[in-house]
Amino acid sequence: MLMLAELVVTGIMIGGIYALIALGWTVIFKTSGVLNLATGEMALIGGYICLALYVAGVPFVLAVAGAVIVGAILGFGTERLVLRPMIGEPHLSVIMITVGLAFAFKGVIQLIWGADTRVFTPAVFPLTPITVGPFSISQVFLWSFILSVVLMGFLILFFQRTRRGLAMQATADDETAAMSVGVSPKRVYGWSWALAFAVVGVGGALLGNINGLNVGVAFFGLLVLPAVVMGGLNSIPGAIVGGLLIGVLQNLGDFYIGPFVPGIKDIFPFLVMMVVLLFRPYGLWGWVKIERM
Amino acid sequence: MRLPTGTYFQNYRADHAWWRTKFVWFRMGLLLAVFLLLPHVIGGAWLPIVTLIGYMALAAMGVQLLIGYTGQITLGHAAVVAIGAYTCAVTMFVWGVPYPVAFVLGIFAAGLWSVLWGLPAARVKGLYLIVTTMAMQFFTIYIVIGQWIGPVAGRGRAGFIAIDPGMFTIGPWVIFGSIPTYYWTLIVLVLAQVFLANLLRTRVGRAWRAIRDNDIAAEALGVNIFKYKLLSFFIAGCLGGAAGGFWLTTLAGVTPEHFTLTLSLWLVGAILIGGLGSMYGHIFGAAFLVLVIELLRIILMAAIPVWPAAFEYFLYIRYLIYGLAIIGFLIYEPNGLSYRWWQFKNYVHLWPFSY
Repeated sequence: MLMLAELVVTGIMIGGIYALIALGWTVIFKTSGVLNLATGEMALIGGYICLALYVAGVPFVLAVAGAVIVGAILGFGTERLVLRPMIGEPHLSVIMITVGLAFAFKGVIQLIWGADTRVFTPAVFPLTPITVGPFSISQVFLWSFILSVVLMGFLILFFQRTRRGLAMQATADDETAAMSVGVSPKRVYGWSWALAFAVVGVGGALLGNINGLNVGVAFFGLLVLPAVVMGGLNSIPGAIVGGLLIGVLQNLGDFYIGPFVPGIKDIFPFLVMMVVLLFRPYGLWGWVKIERM
Repeated sequence: MRLPTGTYFQNYRADHAWWRTKFVWFRMGLLLAVFLLLPHVIGGAWLPIVTLIGYMALAAMGVQLLIGYTGQITLGHAAVVAIGAYTCAVTMFVWGVPYPVAFVLGIFAAGLWSVLWGLPAARVKGLYLIVTTMAMQFFTIYIVIGQWIGPVAGRGRAGFIAIDPGMFTIGPWVIFGSIPTYYWTLIVLVLAQVFLANLLRTRVGRAWRAIRDNDIAAEALGVNIFKYKLLSFFIAGCLGGAAGGFWLTTLAGVTPEHFTLTLSLWLVGAILIGGLGSMYGHIFGAAFLVLVIELLRIILMAAIPVWPAAFEYFLYIRYLIYGLAIIGFLIYEPNGLSYRWWQFKNYVHLWPFSY
């Protein structure tokens, strides 16, 4: 029982990072309806920038801030150059253009930073685990979780309290109505990509603290899909809960099924998602879309 | 389709034929002759590349059917190619089944596997379906093949199956070496192409296109969309399985590494570059991508004296070029290469009076 509790707690800790990345994904999907398959590569870019700054001697917090700023600029640029011409094109084309982006980013990342795993040296967080009662939690997980929660809090404040955040919410809710009160959807798309790139990049930096950064980390960008699909594609609370759930499911699957089926850890979230979809085709909190002719 | 003046048909059969004039028959005969003579004309280094194009086109044909004709977006097609290849390899090398039987078994296994994972299509569609096909990709490659089939095959770890050269025989014909594999891909590709092109002209094909254009309208018209969606998954799986079973003949060993998500995405990219909903699309797209990568390899090889690390970067630059090709085509040529081909044909038809 203690083991189960510990697995769940660690799962929630790492799930915090997934939730952060899933939030970044949902921001883009909610405002512009783009299913972004380049999330993992965006996270990698942020992570690598943070790592490069940190290794060069910048304090970690400032390095994260640097990754946020560069990520935001890249986000604006990506939206303007690649996604803007695709407004109004069919779903498949828009999805495939993010696939193209993913490949291009992957190529650029490897050209700049190579294919070897890079780690944050010296380690950002102390290596000694913290012991609370019967639990012992690695400090990397704990601090990553705290940082993710703080960042998500800021994002929610941004959406609820600032003019731009409200404009984004309005666009997500009803684009035509938002246009009629003077919100420019194009600017909102730009902001959503910038925000998502920045947030997801922080997620990448946090993931990089756990196991180091290499191209394989981009797989975590795909793990976001079961998270958001289980939560329902249009739901921000759904994305957060889905992210946490994925972390827990990964840990449980690895511990209980892993001995019989090695490698289940990364696949298990996808399988659970399939089952959820069979019973609730729109995820747990997604909008049920009624289609008419 | 445009016809020269003076061409009349006296029955529907002639009017609906694929090739309606003597000139088209001549052209197609010429094309076939070019394909048959190709191995004797181009160098030995280029023939495997043509074979690779054939394999990619065959694999992409299933994606073309699912995405281009039925509107079911799949990002997991490499998984059914893998099932075809592995069924063929396991039945041949573990159970000693002859190649033609193993090939057919691989085709059906891949088709059934594809249907199994197409079942969610009854409930979900659009973006949700994309994610379930991705689940198929990961589950098939990492779990089914990586963990279960590998030990069964008993010929190495992690799903690697070594292939003995000269085992692929159809009757007295041994498929080994670049020229026989080229002819084998030609046979399989032409048969698959003829089969699919004809199927698309029947009731089934019309039902698929109705589902693609608007599935609710199709259902209202009495098309059993569940049945036809599954049929589409089945046929696409069979084509993928044929590609997998064929591809074995060119390999020294098959590993799950051949069938990653990258291949699935590559296939979708190929049909987008070639043109969606066109029977040439997958061939043009596969040829374009394979040739561009090959060109890149040649350029980088030539650059080695100037830039010694060039070849190390080949893999990375390949990703970059592939990504930029997809982005460029989607933004500037969304109809793909087959649209350009169509325009070119029209231009030639009407030349020199283009009105």
